[in-house]
Amino acid sequence: MAAPSRLPLLQFCSTRVFLLRCTQGFHGEPVVREPAYPPVIPSRTAKSKSAKKRREEDYYNQVRAASLVQDKLRLLTRLQRKKYVVYPQTFTLNADRWYQHFTKTVFLPGLPGKCSVGRQVVDKENGKVPPAAGGVDPTVLDENTFSELRSLVGNGILQENFYLKKRRPFLQKEQEHFVAPFLSNLVSSVTSSLAKYNPLLKMSSLDFNPEVSFYWMRGERTVPRGHRRGRVDPIRFQINDQPHCQIRVPEQLEEFLPLQESVSAEVPVVHFEPNRLPMFQRQYDNNIFIGSKVTDPCSYGHTQFHLVHDRFKRGRLIKGNLADQVEVRLRANAIASLFAWTGAQAMYQGFWSHEDLTRPFVSQAVVTDGQYFSFFCYQLNTLALTVQTDQDNPRKNICWGTESMRLYEQVKDGEVVGLNDDVLKLLVNFLLNKPQKM
Amino acid sequence: MARRVVYPLYQLGNPQLRIFRTNFFMTLVKPGKEQPPDTVQFRIPMEMTKCDIKNYLEKIYSVPVGAVRTRIQYCTNKKRNHLNQRVKRPDYKVAYVQLVQQQTFQFPEIFPQKDTALEPGSVEEMQDQFMQDEQQRQKADPRRGGVTEWFGL
Repeated sequence: MAAPSRLPLLQFCSTRVFLLRCTQGFHGEPVVREPAYPPVIPSRTAKSKSAKKRREEDYYNQVRAASLVQDKLRLLTRLQRKKYVVYPQTFTLNADRWYQHFTKTVFLPGLPGKCSVGRQVVDKENGKVPPAAGGVDPTVLDENTFSELRSLVGNGILQENFYLKKRRPFLQKEQEHFVAPFLSNLVSSVTSSLAKYNPLLKMSSLDFNPEVSFYWMRGERTVPRGHRRGRVDPIRFQINDQPHCQIRVPEQLEEFLPLQESVSAEVPVVHFEPNRLPMFQRQYDNNIFIGSKVTDPCSYGHTQFHLVHDRFKRGRLIKGNLADQVEVRLRANAIASLFAWTGAQAMYQGFWSHEDLTRPFVSQAVVTDGQYFSFFCYQLNTLALTVQTDQDNPRKNICWGTESMRLYEQVKDGEVVGLNDDVLKLLVNFLLNKPQKM
Repeated sequence: MARRVVYPLYQLGNPQLRIFRTNFFMTLVKPGKEQPPDTVQFRIPMEMTKCDIKNYLEKIYSVPVGAVRTRIQYCTNKKRNHLNQRVKRPDYKVAYVQLVQQQTFQFPEIFPQKDTALEPGSVEEMQDQFMQDEQQRQKADPRRGGVTEWFGL
């Protein structure tokens, strides 16, 4: 049997060891150590309200901590549920009030001071004309260039309506047949001739038929039926828009109004559920897209051009007793499309509803049906539209817009009759918009 | 244009079919769920279409109509009578008509709530007061917390 070796007892009884042992206890100070308890927080998996709150907080912290924008977007759009699909070009009546409520937008008639016809066209002989009060950055535009633009536009109109021999298109394809090529022609030619006055346009990217989509949540409702009955859910919206063409730039445009400035107009509040508009729900992929992926250098928006579909043309609306809805639908189109575009741009920079914008995002749009043009400017000041984040949020998004103006009266015997210069000037102002430092 | 008639077949070149005294009758009803102020709700016969509704309101009542949406309400076939035969409640079609130019329509209150304020000094008021006092007397002591009178000393 292996017995443990026993040290002789005498060693332990020696006085030296005994003394050492005694001295340790009497004269030293007691070592105080803080009790290290884990933090008292609610459980993660329990069936309680505090556990639900903790899971939500963890989710928000996870989104905040995501370093790449793609990860943030993926986390925010991962869960699929039934959502209302918002169509910018809609057949519903009085849609602009409802869309303003969904996007927390204030509509101001007229354009902001910068974009209005404050920039003057200069005559070479007379010299410089002083800019109007409120006009910023008097860019000089030659009379020659302006007349060149006029002829370009006139040629574009004649090309589609007079020079080319076209057959009558089948049902509801007139816009696609006559106006869409004219609009592409107009945009590309005017942009390229104005590129020498606006260096931003040289670095821009012009997309045709891009896809713009945005997904957001606004308001809350209790689920009435189903296995999730009784639970409080946010109301989700999705826009999938296809403008005719858009210009994307690498530098952001300047704001029209400072972020903190409050506007006197109010956002209209609609107390009915969105399905009374009528708007319909579907469940599919939640997309957030500005027209190019996140890594593209041109990640800010400049101008969009929208073509009104055949179904929503003036003639049809007037025939169906809806003459006052013409302007309403143009406004609804602009508000929805521009909110989606600016919102998607902001999300590409990493902002979302719980990390609100630190600088406003600005974009412009032109809505046309070939003859009538209307111009809109949009400033996105806040993305915090959910019930939780909207409680102390005084910021509102702002949309400025004009009424529709005719570009030309008619095409007669190979001549464009009544070409309106103001519309062209506004278009030129829009395209010449650039940040101050350039 | 009419109920329970056979519409003649249309061939290219035929004149527009018109009916001058229609068989359709629409009923204006109070909406069950809250509707936006420019929406009016009707119960209509099953054979009527959206175009029929628009023409009906515009030609007969000269009410300009913006948009019409319809749906069919299915009613139960589950109820049974005293002979255990299934009894069908008839289906009906509902139309939601939106008016033009921001006109609004509010269905009137046909059964308004009356304020039951009794005259002070009348017989009914004294009777009411007596009944209330009687009920108060019959109630048990609230300090007992719902425990009956049987328990106790």
